[in-house]
Amino acid sequence: MSLGRAPVLLQLGLLVLLVLVPQVIQLSYLLDVLIVTVMYVGLALSYDLIVGHVGSLSLAQPAFYGIGAYAVALLSTRVGWPTVACLAAAAIIAGLLALPVGIPSFRLSQYSFAIGTLGFATVAQLVAQNWIDLTDGPMCVTGVPKASIGGLSFATLPSFYYFVLAVVIGIFLFTRRLVGSRIGRSFAAVHENELLASAVGVSPLKYKLLAFSLSAALAGVIGGMYAYYVNVVCPTELSLFITLNLLVILFIGGAGSPRGVVLGAIAGTSLPELLRLASSWRLVLFGVALLVIINFFPDGLEGGLRRIERRLARRSTSA
Amino acid sequence: MNGVLEVERITKRFFGLTVLDDVSFGVKPGELLSIIGPNGSGKTTLFNVISGFLRAERGRVRFHDTDITTWPPHAIARRGLVRTFQDVRLFAGLSALDNLRLAVQQHQEEDLLGRFVWSPKVRRMEREATHRATALLEEFGLFEQRHMRAGLLSYGQRKLLEFAMAIMPEPEVVLLDEPAAAVNPTMINTLTEHIVAYNSAGHTVVLIEHNMGVVMDISHRVLVLDSGRLIAQGPPEQVRENPLVLEAYFGR
Repeated sequence: MSLGRAPVLLQLGLLVLLVLVPQVIQLSYLLDVLIVTVMYVGLALSYDLIVGHVGSLSLAQPAFYGIGAYAVALLSTRVGWPTVACLAAAAIIAGLLALPVGIPSFRLSQYSFAIGTLGFATVAQLVAQNWIDLTDGPMCVTGVPKASIGGLSFATLPSFYYFVLAVVIGIFLFTRRLVGSRIGRSFAAVHENELLASAVGVSPLKYKLLAFSLSAALAGVIGGMYAYYVNVVCPTELSLFITLNLLVILFIGGAGSPRGVVLGAIAGTSLPELLRLASSWRLVLFGVALLVIINFFPDGLEGGLRRIERRLARRSTSA
Repeated sequence: MNGVLEVERITKRFFGLTVLDDVSFGVKPGELLSIIGPNGSGKTTLFNVISGFLRAERGRVRFHDTDITTWPPHAIARRGLVRTFQDVRLFAGLSALDNLRLAVQQHQEEDLLGRFVWSPKVRRMEREATHRATALLEEFGLFEQRHMRAGLLSYGQRKLLEFAMAIMPEPEVVLLDEPAAAVNPTMINTLTEHIVAYNSAGHTVVLIEHNMGVVMDISHRVLVLDSGRLIAQGPPEQVRENPLVLEAYFGR
């Protein structure tokens, strides 16, 4: 009985902790790490929709993230739109751009989708770099205002932390809801066996496009948040290396599980930062930590948690 | 032209090899029709063409009076023509219950928003699906295994679950590709009973089967394919005596 309630209590406790953090930590460096970590959690959750749930390897997440960042930067500086409108536009633009990328890429094979999205990510980066009239190229879009909603301004670090936390919790609840719905079951069907999915009446193309587009829209929102955070958007934000980080996060967290992805993002983002204490050994230690995780939790942290939960459940029933 | 399913002059070639050669036949409502023929005679290819998984070079497939020749597989399944596969196909990582609940897309509207916000209508459909899935699991003796991953079921159980999935949405026509292949005699009887029961409830069944005992027992009518051509059709006892059929199976 108490076991059934434990996760809820744990989640509430975690939430209180997350809310209290800025009251305790006054160091702006640590708050910065925290904000970046929370943003990575959101980005990883968006990435997991397409990679973890539908099982299609997309390499275009940095492109959608960057498109969201540029959408916010351009709309807020050149058109003067308010925060909520800019973020909504970032989501819609990224989500719609996913369709012309997904439709041709999905139609061929798994590999063509990966390559198609990689091509798109590369082209997006080149456009940001070279379409000077629109993006100012390597001079970057500067002067992005601080985010504010109504009278609420998110100019200080703690207030921005709360803003980003609220958005990412929203993304977490959205993806969990989506995955638990009938739509999520259809995603799982397409992931498991596309041929059989179509035999039972689930259109693989439709559900893959849906996941891809939603994934892109959420990445666009996180990109927009980033633009509001650093107030400058450069072509380097579309760096393909983000994909590598995201893959590591899904791998150590456990693709296909919101909880695992959150843990993976926290581990994959804050661990390298914490290891800065040992500056020259940082990457070596991070590599060792990854190896240890892979060795002991081949299904990611989520797999490890499930094993512990099963053991606890067995103990409580046998007691 | 009063059949529930009409196959008209289907021709299918692979790399110049004619796998189906001008095949035409109709299926009457409520009929249990078996398709037999030696290995490689084009039976499965015929199913693939009817269910939309392969596109034929020539010919039409009509379901009632709708031309479904160029429809995608998922649209055909939603319309009420469901097929199974020769090699067992299940969502191995999902529970037996979820496998069944996935197989009711026909009755679910394409309402994505409703599915996401869990609208009352979607909740009701979900309840009905769970209810029917549970009833089927009981009927097929799989209730105890309902939360088990389908991939962990025994071969016979998977065959049963596969058939249960096919009839989950109560399709008007079900195409069964060797449902009793490689299962033990007891399980063959169980499966045959379920197939006959489904057919007796007024549904149309088209069956590919190698087990002649089963075919002769339960079929109303038998079609014989040989090298992609329809060489004989008729009641089981008549087809059994047909010299062309004997020749196709045993050689001259």
